[in-house]
Parts: sequence; C-alpha cells; structure tokens
Amino acid sequence: MPQCLGRLFLFVTISLVGSGAAGALGPASSYYVYVASESDDEVAVVRYGPGGTELIKRIAVGRYPTEVEGPHGLKIGPNGKYWYVSIAHGFPYGSVHKYETGTDEWVGEAVLGLFPATLDLSSRTGLLYVVNFNLHGPLEPSTISVVEVETMTEVAQVVSGIRPHGGRFGHDGRYFYSVNMMDFELVELDALSFDVTRRLALGEGVMPTWVGTSTVSGKAYVAGSNVDKVFEIDLDTWTIERTFEVGSGPYNLALSPDGTKLVITYKSGQAVGFLDLESGREIERTRTSRPIPHGVVVTPDGEYAFVSLEGIGDDPGTVEVYSMATGDRVGVVDVGRQAGGIAFWKKLE
Amino acid sequence: MTIIRSCFRVVGLVFLLMGLVRGQEPSEAGELTLEVRPSRLVLEVGETARLVATVRTGDGEVVDDSEVIYFSRARRSVSVTREGRVEAYRPGDFTLVALVPVETDDDSRRPDARVRVEVEVTVPLPATEEVTFMAVPSKYYVGTNPRLEVQVTDTLRTVRDDIEVTFESSNQRVARVDRFGGLALREQGTVDITATAGGVSETVVIEVENSPVVSLDLYASADRAVTGEVIRFTATAKDARGLAVRGVPVRLGVSGETISGVIAVGATAHIAADGRFVAERSGVYTVVATTGSHSATRTVSIDSRNVAAEVEVVGRGKVLDRHTSDLWVWEGSDGRDYAITGTWGAAGDSYIWDVTDPGNIEKLHEVKVDARTVNDVKVSEAGDIAVISREGASDRRNGIVILGVGNPREGVPVLSEFTDQLTGGVHNIFISENHVFALSAGRRYDVINIEDPRQPRRVGQFELDTPGHGVHDVWVTDGVAFSSNWTDGIVAVDVGGGGKGGSPERPVELGRYTYPSGWNHAAFPYKSQSTGKFYLFAGDEAFPYGGYSAQPGGRPSRAAGWVHVIDWSDWDDPQEVARYQVPEAGSHNLWVEDDIMYAAFYNGGLRVVDVSGELMGDLYKQGREIAMYLPTDPDGYISNAPFVWGPQPYKGHIFFTDWNTGLWAVRLRERTGRPHVVGEPR
Repeated sequence: MPQCLGRLFLFVTISLVGSGAAGALGPASSYYVYVASESDDEVAVVRYGPGGTELIKRIAVGRYPTEVEGPHGLKIGPNGKYWYVSIAHGFPYGSVHKYETGTDEWVGEAVLGLFPATLDLSSRTGLLYVVNFNLHGPLEPSTISVVEVETMTEVAQVVSGIRPHGGRFGHDGRYFYSVNMMDFELVELDALSFDVTRRLALGEGVMPTWVGTSTVSGKAYVAGSNVDKVFEIDLDTWTIERTFEVGSGPYNLALSPDGTKLVITYKSGQAVGFLDLESGREIERTRTSRPIPHGVVVTPDGEYAFVSLEGIGDDPGTVEVYSMATGDRVGVVDVGRQAGGIAFWKKLE
Repeated sequence: MTIIRSCFRVVGLVFLLMGLVRGQEPSEAGELTLEVRPSRLVLEVGETARLVATVRTGDGEVVDDSEVIYFSRARRSVSVTREGRVEAYRPGDFTLVALVPVETDDDSRRPDARVRVEVEVTVPLPATEEVTFMAVPSKYYVGTNPRLEVQVTDTLRTVRDDIEVTFESSNQRVARVDRFGGLALREQGTVDITATAGGVSETVVIEVENSPVVSLDLYASADRAVTGEVIRFTATAKDARGLAVRGVPVRLGVSGETISGVIAVGATAHIAADGRFVAERSGVYTVVATTGSHSATRTVSIDSRNVAAEVEVVGRGKVLDRHTSDLWVWEGSDGRDYAITGTWGAAGDSYIWDVTDPGNIEKLHEVKVDARTVNDVKVSEAGDIAVISREGASDRRNGIVILGVGNPREGVPVLSEFTDQLTGGVHNIFISENHVFALSAGRRYDVINIEDPRQPRRVGQFELDTPGHGVHDVWVTDGVAFSSNWTDGIVAVDVGGGGKGGSPERPVELGRYTYPSGWNHAAFPYKSQSTGKFYLFAGDEAFPYGGYSAQPGGRPSRAAGWVHVIDWSDWDDPQEVARYQVPEAGSHNLWVEDDIMYAAFYNGGLRVVDVSGELMGDLYKQGREIAMYLPTDPDGYISNAPFVWGPQPYKGHIFFTDWNTGLWAVRLRERTGRPHVVGEPR
C-alpha cells in the first residue's frame, strides 16, 4: 500500500510540561501511556515518572491533512510491540491502524465498519476485536469487526446491535464484552466462533457506554452513563449482581489489577471516581482540571490511573495521573484536542 | 488414530491438492502442531470444499477436543465456515487461516504459542464464453482501414479485457487484419474475419466493395484560432456524382510546427476521431484526412490565447492563529457586502466580515459554536440565513447551526440548530430554496426544510446504494443536486428542477459519472455562456505524498488531483472532455462564472482560468490560465505555506480563503508587460 507510506512520518515534539502539584517530583519509576486526540488526528506518548508528567512525542495519524479523521480507541498488543488505533471517519468506513511501539512507525491498516471505536485483543486468538459505533445517523444495528493483526485484515464483521461501544475482553480472552448503547444491553461475543453468545438487558432506557472486566473475579462492570449507575455483572450467572449509584455521567471504567477498585470517569460530572468494590462505596472523587473526562487506564502495578480529558472547542486535551491509593491527582500534561482512547504501554524502573 | 473433525468431499470440478500443512511452531514438549488437509485448494467460482484439521501434541498424540478457528483473509472472495467448509465466490489467489487458540489456563504452553496454518486457495478466472463483434460497419470499401472491436465475456457474464484476442483473415488478398483488429481492405471480395479469445471464436463475414469515393474534401470550422480553441474538421468523401458517401472510414491526423522559439515541446496539438482539433501551442498545424487512396489536407494557424492578467491584492481579513476553511460572500439586506468564513481544527468559530470595501475588510463578529471545525458555511439566496456545519462537538451531536445574517452589523443571532441523524459530523452543506442539503458523516445527504429557520425539519434524504459508498460535497442549482462521492463520482439528482418529478422530499436520480481515480471531492455545475453546453467541473482531493503537519509551525502539505470537465448536456451520456491539472499541486473547491473558472489548488494557490468556448484536452497546457496567486504570510498559521481552500468571485473581486492565512480579496488587472505563456518566448 504505497499510498499509506505517506503516513509513516512522525511529527515529534519533546516538550516538558509542568507536572501536577501533587506529584511534582514524580515516582521513581517511569510509566508510559499512549493517548489518542480525536480532533487533532494525533496520538501522544506521555510519561509519568521522575520529574513529573511529560509529553514525550506527538504522532500524526490519518492520511488527509484537511479532513478530521478522528483517532478514537487505543490498545497496546499483549507483547508490547505494537499499538493499535481506531480511526473513526473514512469514506465512509473507518479503519484500524497498527504502529510499532517506540519507533511509532506505521505498519498497516484495515478498513472496518462505520465509526470504529473501542478495541481489544484476545489473548487466546491473537485477533483484534473492534466495535463499530456507527455514529452516523439513524439508529440501526452495527457490528463488531474481527481483525487478524499479522496482515491487518478484517476477517469477520458480526452484527451486534445499535451503537456498540466500550468493548473489553474477559480475563481468559475467550469472550469479548461490549455494550449496545441504544439497545440498552450488554453483549458477549465468543472470540473463537465470532458469534454473539449472550445479551443482557440493563433496563429500558439505560444507555451503557463501557464495560470493564475483572482479571480475578469473573465480574464485569458496565457504566450506565445516563442513569448515573454502574452495574456489576456476574459473568457466570449472567445477571446484574449489584448496582452502584455513582456520580454524573459515568463513561469509562478501569479496574485495579487486584479487582478491588473501579476507577470511573464522569463525563458530565467532570470528575474521576474511585469505587471500592467490596463495600460498594465511592471512596474518592476528584474534580478534573478540564471538562469531559473520557478514558482511563490503571497501571499493571495498581499504583496509578491515567485519565484522558477531551476539553471543549479549542481546549487542548489533557492526560491526568491519579494515585490509586489516595485518589489524588499527581500529574497533568496537555496533549492534542479531544483526548480520548488511552492505553498503558510500559513501566521502566 | 486420526480424528476427523469434518468430512472431506470433492465437489464438482474441485481440484484438491493432497498433502498437509503443518503449523510452524516448533514441536517442543507441550507444544501443539496443526495439520490441515488439503494443504492447497483450487476451486471454481461457486464450488465448495472441506478442510480437515488435526491437532497433535508434541509427542504426536491427537488432541481430540482442541478447537480450531478458520477464517479467510478475503472473505468476500472465498469464505470458510467454523466447520471448515470453503466456498469460492471470485477468481484470484487467496489465503485461509486455521488457528488453534491458546488455552489461557494451560501453563504448559508459552503464552504466545498460538499455532496457525495457512491454506492457499486458487480460484481460476472463469473461462471465456463469448466473443462478440461490436458496432460492425455496414459497408467495407477497398483501400480503407476500419477497425473491428470485439467484446469478450466469461461464463460469469463479466466483460474481460485481460484476455488476449487474436484475429485471422480467411483471405489475405481481400483483407488483412492486425492484432488490434485493424483491417487493411485490399480488393473486392468476401472474407471471414475471425476473433479468438480463450479458445472461443467468433467470425464476421465481410463483403468488400470497390470504393465509390472519387474525392475527399476537408473543411475546418475556422482557419485561425487561439490555443485551446476547438476547431471542428469535417471530411466529406464524394462519389462520381459529387454526392457524399456515408459510412466511409476516414482517418484524421495532425502535424505542425510551433512558432519560432518554442522548441522541443513534444505533442502540441491533437485531433479526435470526430474531427475536434485543439492546439496547446502557437504555430501552424496541418490536418490530414485519408480514405483509401484519397487524402485531403487543411492547414490552420494557432495564435497565443493571450488572456494573462495580473493579480492585485486588494485587502485581507487575516486569520493567523488557526486554520480557515470555507467562505461565502453575499449582499445583506442593508445593501452592504459581507463574508462568512469557517475555521478548522480550532474552537468552532466562524467569522463575519464586512467586505463592502474589499480594501478595508472589517471583522464584525466571531460566532462560536460547540465544535472544533466549521468546515462549511453557506448563505441563502436572499442573504438572510447562513448555515454552518459542525464537526468535533463536545457533545458529539454536531449537525448544523442556522444563523440570521440579514443585517450583520446589527448582529448575527443563532436561530436554531439541527442535529438529528447528523451526529457523525456535517462536513459540507448547501442552501437552495429554503432547504439545506447537509452531509451526514460522509454517507448521505439530508434535506432540511428551513422555511421557518427556527424550526428546521428533515423532509428528505439521498443515499447511494453502492457498496461502501460515501459522499463529500453537494451543490444545488436550478433544482438539481450534484453530489461528489469519491469513487462513485458525481451524482445528479432531481430535487425539484430536473424534470423527472423529483423534489426535496423525493429526490430522483438523473445520472451519474465516475472516473478511475476515485478522488471526486467537489463539483460545480455550469452552463457555458459561449457555447450553451452544460459542463460539470469536478474537482479532486488527494494527498498521496504525506509528510504534513497541520499544527502551528507544522510542515506544509502538497496535494494532487485536478479538475475534470464533463460535458453533461445529456444526463444519460456524460463525457469527460477536458482537464485542468496543475503539476505538483491538487484541486480543492472551485467556482465558475462568466466563463471563467476560479479554482483553489491548495499549495498551488488560486488559479483563474479561461473556460470560454468548447473545452477539450488539457486546459493548463493551452494557455488558458489567466492568473495565479500564491498567498503567503510569514506569520501564517503555517508560515509562508499557501494552501488555498476556496474562491468566490463577487462584484469584480475574487475573494478566497487560505487555510493558513484567512480571507483574501484580490482583483485582476491588465497585464502591464508583454503577454507571456510559460514555455513560450516573450
């Protein structure tokens, strides 16, 4: 695909940005995340470590300088060698692109469905599963794309429902969980057969936006964004086990590695919440420095949560770092406009 | 023991190459191997086969409960089910993959020890079914050289141009035929001409007659013209009675000399088979017509078009802190002149300017909406309503915003917004007769009634039905909407004035035209004042070179693509007749008025082109360019980087927006020096 070679360029900026007051010196180790800026067609690499929070690199994505193509979802492959970003807008189909971590060189792409958004890789099949959100007009069923990442080929497209979003794998990589925002349901897709195996109604009018899955407990957590609730789903019984009343507009979720805490971004509430899953009580809630919190990822050591903030209009996007122990913001750095998808890359001692 | 997961059977003419493929993973203790039979498939279109997979441990024991995933890397050409059933849909070489997923709980295997096997599938091209002679002439005359054309179709009824066709004459004394189907008719008689492709033959019987032609005349519609001006040559063959003989093949060719000083320029003129001639350079050209032993010549002189003018910058509305997008200039109800411009990748601003005095452009208002990009701005015919598009809204509802712009000096109120089913972002819009045509996320356009601008309502929509269709722009004139649809080209739709019963509520397609690049981005319909022909000027958008950065201080980009000129006087027969292509630059938005095209060419700046008369060939090379201008500003959003977005001629001035510097007003003035065409002597 020679035309795609034009996308290989990197626009690299190294910019030290003032860190948040809470963590001016930062931790001894360095944590790296990738974050996508939907309205600037770029992906940034952010480091939090000694010296604070730092914007390491800005990587332009997409092929048209005069069209906003909208990088949305981000995921690092399981071996850390590649990162994947969904690009929402196309002609009209969006796409998913593969880059090499570190060099950030473009490797390949696959055209998917309408407005591909959240994505995740299965540890069992090695395939990439991407929800096609289809924010394109009438409410009509959309799909989940399955992509072979070695060749970046879409090998299946499975009808899911209306406005699929927020997809994540369960801990064993067998089932891909996503929500159909306008079908008000949680959906389970078998990674092996490419079939939708179960659907769970969350309640009439409940518009879910995200699924977080536990690596230890066999539970999934669903953000009911418009009803200010988070649902705990027992994946064995396929029932709503608990419902947590939370803040305004829970949007994205991330679990601590030990499965004890759930981090919630409040899109309309402009805050980040920390839910203790044993007690079911929100133990901390911190107002974000800009409006529209979007994505969240927790470091594998459970120390920090990285949160992306979209901002409004000409606001830059922002990445904030929170201490999982205290819920305090310990770092902040601006990135491109409308920061959304965020993925943990690596920790260096 | 072999565990047969699925039965294996031969279907029809399936050729199964026996053998097996083994997974490439090393067979260590605890590692698995995968064997798939057959290792390679050759299937005809529509045929099926079955794959059988066997999973073994490193010790060679069959794992009888192992799951195997099958998938195709070209599932629209060859599919495979979870049971391994393969079906071929299209010719080509394809790959199927069989994969043994990792058992997450199995600690004996390496985490990424996923075993996979690839199975190559070849689906041969279908056999030739039919060879057909097309448009066979009714008469054949000795001494002439008509050409026979054939069409080859295969068993799937697909027209094939990849199959070699050979021709053979049954009588070389009467007629010879070359490998292109060109005949050399040598004497009176009957001859069979046979065309063969893929083992299938078709024969046409030709009766060759003595030619009744005794003379050949050649007429030219003009003896003198300018570069780019089309001269029509008409050859008339006559018999002994002096009557015209119809159906006699006449060949036309041209030779010529450019004027002194124009050296080594290559081909500078051409003539079409229908007699249309155009020259790109000044000089003297001779057209030769031949039929049989008769020939006729006609010589014409071509002068320089001499239309060049100079561009004078009159005024600017600087926008240096963000990208500027589209513009519209109109006369307000107070008689003053105004412009609205959008912004791109910024804060959702659009700017209202008083341009009554183009030398003193005044910014009146900054209208901010919830968006990052206001890509398009349009104003109603009455000049009282503006509509702006939204992309990147924080609530992701996007849609359009309707503004009251009747008297901008007294304010520009937001009258309403409309977001329903436009949430994916609106990239382009148009207003025509109280209706807004708004693109929905590049997939279709919706028609929104704004008779009451405070209560807009959707009344119709138009969407193509082709696979993977998209739409980028729409322009409406005289009740016909012309949408630009990338690979689907330009689509003309009756929305009230097309004569096919269409309306905003019920759009009716009139016709469509596609071209190979798939870059169609904008279209401007225009009835030529000088010829009465209806031309559609279709602009490309393409960025094949990469290497840009849209950020302040970033690296400027370079576009590709050109303006295609389509003679669409007949909805059913669009003909692409000319192009305007600027080397190393690419087209964006354009406007045609008074037989002059104003075209934004991104890094190629503003181009003003004489499009009067009949259009044919490469307009750029014909000296039709009246003027060009490269706007630069060292303080531009990207410094000194012309990137012209869109032009609009208005009351003797040309207004245009530049992505990096904002709004410009220029005018043409008579050239003070000697006229000059690049490449020709002064």
